Amino acid sequence: MGACRTTGLKRLALCCFLISTTRLCVAQEVQNATVMSSVAATIVPTQSSNSADLPSAPEPADEIAQTGRADQTPATAQKQQGQTNQQQQKPETTPSLGDLGFTPQQTQADAQMQARLNERTHMLKVHQTLGLITTIPMVATLITGPQAKAKGRNGEPITEPTAANLDFHIALGGLTSGMYWTTAYYAIFAPKIPDVKPKGAIRLHRDLEWVHGPGMIITPLLGIMAYKQENAGEKVHGFASYHGPAAYVTAAAYGTSIVAVSWPIHWKFWEK
Amino acid sequence: MNRKFSIVFFLFALPLFAQTDAQWVLDKSTLTYHMSHPMHEVNGVSHEAKGKGICHAGQCSFLIAVPVKSFDSGDSNRDLHMIEATRGAQFPIVSLRAQFSEAAITGPTIYADLEVQFAGQTAHYSHVPLQRVTEGNQVQISGTVPATCSDFKIDRPSFLTVPIKNEIPVRVETTWRPM
Repeated sequence: MGACRTTGLKRLALCCFLISTTRLCVAQEVQNATVMSSVAATIVPTQSSNSADLPSAPEPADEIAQTGRADQTPATAQKQQGQTNQQQQKPETTPSLGDLGFTPQQTQADAQMQARLNERTHMLKVHQTLGLITTIPMVATLITGPQAKAKGRNGEPITEPTAANLDFHIALGGLTSGMYWTTAYYAIFAPKIPDVKPKGAIRLHRDLEWVHGPGMIITPLLGIMAYKQENAGEKVHGFASYHGPAAYVTAAAYGTSIVAVSWPIHWKFWEK
Repeated sequence: MNRKFSIVFFLFALPLFAQTDAQWVLDKSTLTYHMSHPMHEVNGVSHEAKGKGICHAGQCSFLIAVPVKSFDSGDSNRDLHMIEATRGAQFPIVSLRAQFSEAAITGPTIYADLEVQFAGQTAHYSHVPLQRVTEGNQVQISGTVPATCSDFKIDRPSFLTVPIKNEIPVRVETTWRPM
C-alpha cells in the first residue's frame, strides 16, 4: 500500500513538473513577445486617428508637428506615441509594424527626399511638355529645309532659294534649337535620386541623347556654314553638305527618344 | 488515486488548453498594383512585404507591410514618379491590416475587413473576399484590395495630359507559416 502511494506521488510530481515546464515556456514566449514589442515600439511610431485599437503606419515629421508637438524632434514624438500605445493595448493580440523587423531607415519619413522627388517630377513634367512642343518647329524646319537649299548641278545654273524661304528656315531652326536646349535643361538639372539605376524604357530615352544632343550642335553649325556658302554664290559643299543628313538623323533620334519613353504603347482610348 | 491524479492533471492542464493564441509569420509574398492608362497598362510588383498574424479570443488580426519604394514596374523613372505621387518618401511604408473571425480561417474564402494605410491616409474596405489554400503547415491567402487613388488623396499622374484610371487594385498573394 505504502509502495503504491509512493509510486502515485512520484507520478503526480512528474506530471506537475512536466505541466509546469510547459507553462513556464509559454510564459517565457509571452515575455519575449512583450520585450520584442517594447523594442519595436522605439523603432516604429504607431498612432491611428481612425482606429482606436490598432497601431498605424509612421506619421511624417510635419504631421506630427501639426498635432502640437513641434517642440519635439520627430523621433522623440514617435517614440512617445509608440510607448503610449504600448501601454494602452495588449501587444500580443494585434501585430504592430514594430513586430515586423523593418529597419529604422525603411520606416523613417524623409521630407527632404520627398521635396527632391517633387522638384524632380515638376522639372521632368516641364521637360516632357516642352519636348513635345519642340517637335512642332523641328518638323517644320525639316519641311522647309529643301526650300532653303540652292538647286542645280555643278556646271549648270544654280537656283538660289528665296530670301523669305531661307529666313523662315533659319528662324524655325533657331526656335527649334532654343526650345531643344531649354527642354534639355529641365532634364539635365532635374534633381538626381541616389542609388537608382536607370531601368526600362528610360534607358533608351537617355542613351539617344548622345545622338540628338550632338546632332543639335552640329546641325546648326553646318547650317551656318551652308548659309555662308550660299550667300557667297557657291553651291553648298564640304562638311556643310551634311547639314541636311545631320538634321534628319537628329530628328529621327529625337522622335525615337519620345516613342521610347512611352513604350510599350497600348492604344485603347475607345475602352472605358 | 487515479481520480486524484486526474483532478490534479486537469487543474494544471486546463489553462494550457484555454491558451488558443495562434501566431503566423509571412513566409513569401507578392504584392502587385495595377495602373491603367489609355496608352499603358502597368503592373508594379514587390516581394519585400513582411507580415505577422495573431489569432486571439476568436478574432484574427493579420498585418502586412511593405516599403513603397520596393515596388518595381520595370521602369525606374516610373517607379520614382510613383513614389513622388504617393508621397512615398514621407510615408515610406504601406500597411494592410486584415481582421476576421478565427472561425472563418478554416473555409476556402475568408471575408475580411481591411485597413490600409498608404500615402498618409487610411482607407477601410469591408467584407473583402480572400482565398485561402492550405499546403502542409503553410496557408496561402490571396485577394485583391480594391484601392483607388482618391481613397488616399493621390493626384492621379497623367501622361500626354490624360490621367491614369482612379482604380489601382492591389493583388496580394501571401504564404503564411505558424510561428
